Amino acid sequence: MKTSIYRITILLILIFSSRIFCQKDSRWFLLPDGLGFSNHLEYSYNTDTTVIHNEILENWLNLDYNKNIFSAGLRFEVFQPNDPDPSVSRGKVRYADITYKYFTVDIGDVEEGLNITAGNFYKLFGRGLILKSYEDRNIRVDNNLLGVKVEANYLGFSLTALSGSAANSVNERQDILHAMDLQYNGLNFVKLAATLASNQPNIDGVARTTLAAFRLQPSYWNFDGYAEYGIKSNKDDQLKYFNDDEWKVGEAFYGSLNFYYDAFSIVGEYKYYDNYAFTSSDGTIYYNTPPSLRKEYTYVLLNRHPSPLDQSNEEGYAVEVNYNFSDETSFIVNYGVTRTLPNSSYYQRVNNSANLISTQLKEVYLQATHGWNESFTTIAAFGYNEELSTNTKNITPILENKFYFDDINTIKLVLEHQQTENLTTNEKYYDDVIALEYLRSPNFNVSLVAEMQTKEPEEGNIVRKIWSFIQLGYKLGNHSDISLLIGSRQAGNICIGGICRYEPAFQGIELKMLTRL
Amino acid sequence: MRLILLAVLSLFFSLSVIAQNEEDITGRKAPNFKLVNLDGKYVELNNISGSGPILLSFWATWCKPCLEEMSEYNKIYEQYKDKGFVLLAVSTDTEKSVAKVKPYIKSKDYKFAVVLDTNGEVARKYYAQQMPYTVLIDKNGNIVYSHLGYMKGDEQKVEKLISELLEK
Repeated sequence: MKTSIYRITILLILIFSSRIFCQKDSRWFLLPDGLGFSNHLEYSYNTDTTVIHNEILENWLNLDYNKNIFSAGLRFEVFQPNDPDPSVSRGKVRYADITYKYFTVDIGDVEEGLNITAGNFYKLFGRGLILKSYEDRNIRVDNNLLGVKVEANYLGFSLTALSGSAANSVNERQDILHAMDLQYNGLNFVKLAATLASNQPNIDGVARTTLAAFRLQPSYWNFDGYAEYGIKSNKDDQLKYFNDDEWKVGEAFYGSLNFYYDAFSIVGEYKYYDNYAFTSSDGTIYYNTPPSLRKEYTYVLLNRHPSPLDQSNEEGYAVEVNYNFSDETSFIVNYGVTRTLPNSSYYQRVNNSANLISTQLKEVYLQATHGWNESFTTIAAFGYNEELSTNTKNITPILENKFYFDDINTIKLVLEHQQTENLTTNEKYYDDVIALEYLRSPNFNVSLVAEMQTKEPEEGNIVRKIWSFIQLGYKLGNHSDISLLIGSRQAGNICIGGICRYEPAFQGIELKMLTRL
Repeated sequence: MRLILLAVLSLFFSLSVIAQNEEDITGRKAPNFKLVNLDGKYVELNNISGSGPILLSFWATWCKPCLEEMSEYNKIYEQYKDKGFVLLAVSTDTEKSVAKVKPYIKSKDYKFAVVLDTNGEVARKYYAQQMPYTVLIDKNGNIVYSHLGYMKGDEQKVEKLISELLEK
């Protein structure tokens, strides 16, 4: 307890003294020309004594330098201690090191140019059907590659070739990924591209996995399309599961078609991912993340029962319609279905299973936004989903109101209600979230968030749980943003396109600070 | 542990101390980038800078404050576009939602340039950790202002700075 008070006191002193210093004109300080700097700190102290780590400290510091055609940089990460969840910490339990460093030469321009990167890098081919190497700190994903990447543009062609190695679940880089993507941009009505990638295992005698895909992006009048088809091969799997009768062990297709006219737009997407997860030989690194066709939500309860993406066993579609009646009124309708694959699929044959097709996710989302006048805006939303991994059915109405007092003061009130039915246990319960936020541009915001979960384990026996927290946000000068949360928070998920990070229930204080120069 | 905590927080403290205040409008050189626009053509920052201020607005279709902010930035764009001001909306929609970018922009009838940063490469160069994120670049290619998040009223500061830059 004494230690906690000590640390909290230090934090508060530092924050307030920072602010005092920031009041002064600090024009004297300038970074050397070409230098960029950012720091991201997250510190939390959980007062729940049953958790593995009461304290979690994570810090990412970036330093970048650009000079003419050259750029270089590094990222220093500190996790002391890290999040105890191994899927988050990925072998970095107590860790402090340079995790990302690069050197880039960029010659020429968009018409004729060459870009070479040595060190760590990220890369996305198309929509991620074969390769998506990326960092998303919100969900603690970082599958950067360490190696060499060459990108070239010439006569309408764009070529990317790379060779690199990603860190596995114990933070070791073993397998080597080789990949190449060639795109032709010379035609106005369509772009054509082909991708080839291969994972070379670090174990002698183990076959490499190779993926290839072809894609096209047509565009005509008010229509835009995208289609990509890919195949996967692995000699060991072909021999083991198909007696070498098949020349491929997986396939995938993703397509989308958009149409827009005046204030109306519609997006339709279709996916078919059959045994198409592209992983390292130990299965802990995912190189590909194709479109999941799940709606991205910012409301808390709509992420409470997420549907994780499965690159190997999904088929489905999603349709979203937007219509703006006027500048004040708009509608969004979204409908999507994801199903598992039939037993004729590569996935079921490789896994020697004979499961029936089941609905992994069905979701409906409706949203209406209306500005009553210059001072008052309402968003009414309704979500319905059936989700297989938690085997729940969820109905979620939401009401959000924003009241603008004047040009810089806003009050926001969000009410969320969710009725959940667990289809395994037949248990029914509901959650309510109320969030009241005051925002004062440009520096300050404070929000009060409370959640109540009501369950009835036996008839007449109603059990309620309540979580609540206050969150303060403040800008320190032009370059730092600080956020302080005090209170308790229900367990939940942070999801980005089907990739989720589970956050356990929390009670204590949480500090986040972002600084950039 | 205590020492490490103190070391990191001290570093942080130092950063806050050296953070430039609101009157300081000199920043680092804006990193160059090449991204594809909604028509599939490449846009390079170096090719469009030099004639006036450029506002980079990092946004995403799923981010409600971003859409609110974009509506305000569109008003600023309409007001100053003929004076050399450029608004470049950098969509950070990933492969999961990038299909919705063009339909959204067209349905709102926005006329400013939109480029696609599908893998977040430019967002990383500009330290855009959260959305929305705004960067204002002067005609010399220096970052003169950056802002994380959006609250109604934030656009006033941006408009004031753009107006000042156009007068220089």
